[in-house]
Amino acid sequence: MAKTVLDEVREVARGWRWTRRPLTPRTAERWAPATKPRVFPTSWARTRPAKAVREAILRYGFRPVVWTETDPTVEGLDNLEGLAGPVMFIANHASHMDTPLILCSLPKEWRERTAVAAAADYFFDVWWRAASTALVFNTFPIERTGGQRATNTARQLVQDGWNLVVYPEGTRSRDGWVARLRHGASRLSIEYGLPVVPIAIRGTYAAMPRGRSWPVRGRVPISVRFGPALRVEPEEDFRSFSKRIQQELARLWDEDATDWYHSLRREAEGRTPALTGPAGPRWRRVWESSRPLPRRGAPRVWRV
Amino acid sequence: MGTNVIYPPDPLPAVPNVSGAIRQALLHPVGSEPLPELLKPGMRLTIAFDDISLPLPPMQTPDIRGRVIEQVLELAARAGVEDVRLIVANSLHRRMTPGEIKRAVGERVYRSFYPDALTNHDAEDPAGLVHVGQTDRGEDVEINRRAAESDLLVYVNINLVAMDGGHKSVPVGLASYRSLRHHHNVHTMLNSQSFMDPRPGHSAIHDSCARMGELLSEHLRISTIETTLNNNTFPAPFDFMNKREWEWSLKDQASYLAGKRANDRAPAWIRREIFRRIASPYGLTGVHAGETAAVHERTLANLHRQQLTEVNGQVDVMVVGLPYICPYNVNSIMNPILVQCLGLGYLFNMYVNKPVVRPGGVMILHHPVPWEFNQLHHPSYVDFFDEVLAETTDPAAIEAKFEAQYAQDPWYVHLYRNSYAYHGVHPFYMWYWGAHAMDYLGDVIFVGANRKAVARMGFRTASTFADALEMASETVGGSPRISYLHTPPLTLAEVR
Repeated sequence: MAKTVLDEVREVARGWRWTRRPLTPRTAERWAPATKPRVFPTSWARTRPAKAVREAILRYGFRPVVWTETDPTVEGLDNLEGLAGPVMFIANHASHMDTPLILCSLPKEWRERTAVAAAADYFFDVWWRAASTALVFNTFPIERTGGQRATNTARQLVQDGWNLVVYPEGTRSRDGWVARLRHGASRLSIEYGLPVVPIAIRGTYAAMPRGRSWPVRGRVPISVRFGPALRVEPEEDFRSFSKRIQQELARLWDEDATDWYHSLRREAEGRTPALTGPAGPRWRRVWESSRPLPRRGAPRVWRV
Repeated sequence: MGTNVIYPPDPLPAVPNVSGAIRQALLHPVGSEPLPELLKPGMRLTIAFDDISLPLPPMQTPDIRGRVIEQVLELAARAGVEDVRLIVANSLHRRMTPGEIKRAVGERVYRSFYPDALTNHDAEDPAGLVHVGQTDRGEDVEINRRAAESDLLVYVNINLVAMDGGHKSVPVGLASYRSLRHHHNVHTMLNSQSFMDPRPGHSAIHDSCARMGELLSEHLRISTIETTLNNNTFPAPFDFMNKREWEWSLKDQASYLAGKRANDRAPAWIRREIFRRIASPYGLTGVHAGETAAVHERTLANLHRQQLTEVNGQVDVMVVGLPYICPYNVNSIMNPILVQCLGLGYLFNMYVNKPVVRPGGVMILHHPVPWEFNQLHHPSYVDFFDEVLAETTDPAAIEAKFEAQYAQDPWYVHLYRNSYAYHGVHPFYMWYWGAHAMDYLGDVIFVGANRKAVARMGFRTASTFADALEMASETVGGSPRISYLHTPPLTLAEVR
């Protein structure tokens, strides 16, 4: 039977290279001439019309969905008072929900001046993914392989006065706990004297871990907790600053799990629980981090 | 016939770095060692703080009390202090609800301590009070046991008016009826001229509190932290009320017209709901820590810097417009007794040296004075209004005949301790606050008020301001000098 035009279009579409897969066969890569890496342009996503579209999508699209499908609690925004941008928000990362959660938690005046660092090899591999994330979340590419070029766009953004959201673990957690922080964020913070605002996010691994594209049912409680801004001390290098950021993130996590005063007490005594979770086989860490957070606030009662 | 308008001064510039200012105050206190030196492992630390009656309107979050308390607690945590208690210094006021406490101290402190170690003061808990002693004038000093038995009591205050703070904080905020009756009485009120001038010899209530405070300081280490706020009282779109009328822009004029129209037409509960949501964008003008009297001296200087307005001479008629809020109707209803207290108790006394109005002059107050009460918050007010004021409005007679009965009524005590009710004796104190003005003034006229409610309180009502002036002429003649105290924002008239 003769193929219809539609069939032919479908056939061609199946063969279309939707991702930016290299044209060179893997076996021939050694002989292929080196190509100059190209940085996906994202400056258009920070123009006034794009900002308006993003605000509408986040406020009227993402926020109602995230706040309906899960049960987030946002605390510590008072720590932003008195801070003048740009600042660097540093958060632990366990889910694709983290970015919309952070952006929707921020007050509008902060949100509209905030850009999100996204892995160049994951979010910027194909044009449509790059363009859509840049539009919706104001992402910019960052090379996970490191090097000076990895943070060129970030540098430009800081110079232009943009706040940055950075996940210094470099990837989403595989067990819900926090891996060692890379130093790129602290280097950049030192270079520009950026205050670092740590954000502890708990519950997103239980709500939407790797491999899921929609939160699990049951309005899983989530906590987003902003900490006090950290500033680099004189004589502090990027390693010690990274360590301090990690310690503050751990204390913030502890504060969220227990309470503020006792987290300070444990910090003073050097007893802050590690962010790496329980020792032993991986399943134990996954088990613990999948446990839903307790619900906060007054229990629901019938209203007559 | 000339009229003066006493406008509040413009808001002072706010301290830009609030956290830094608090830290500076704690590390460099006046008349005391730095706070970190007072904090030791194993000690009993109690932090008391002002209740919902301050500031007015409530401030936008984060509340300054929470910010100060956080810094105190950060130092305590670093020093290894485990035994920490926080107490709302609500005296005989209603207990603060969990939501109100959380708003005042912030989420971090609230979740760390509530409900076990963050509580309202209970002035009717025999086990929770301790009689510290008597002053040389025989005044009983009985305060919260936990506070009295602490190694260090930190008191965090918001000093909105000159009446607040100093030795009035602990001996009042954490006291019992047994202690309070020594200065919350008609005799003391009549001899407090003015409450807003706490210098020794000017205000009997402050003199009494000072004696109590000095006795307490012999038994207890108290570190006082006082804060002052500027006059930035109303946020947009109500910010036209921060300005003088001739300074209004077109937008301000439109906001005023729209607000007035809406206010005139909306039902009372909607009006209340809108006003209840107003949170003031106050800026911090100062924070001082250390020995109570030394701190308060600096606090008063800061307060005067913001609120003092020089006024030349007294007038025959003082006019005020009463705002929607007073210290005792936050998230509640302003009943007629509170209207009386706000007008004759507080605004009449917003002076130093001498009252704005001459002896025997007339005070004209603008307020609808609705016959409405909040049954949850003010149960004893209802009975006070129906039973006591129906018989007499004379503060001394009321005190002699009814006070003890209301103060000891077991049902009022139960509601105070377990519900959110003001203490049974509280309406009496409200009435006493006005005693000085009632004694001093020749006439009190309410404009646009509920006639029955005003008549019950022994005052007169006029339909319009012109009528009120006509009525006032019976007392002060046909060509009176008039001053209008334009408030809020608050101002303290320095009458020369």
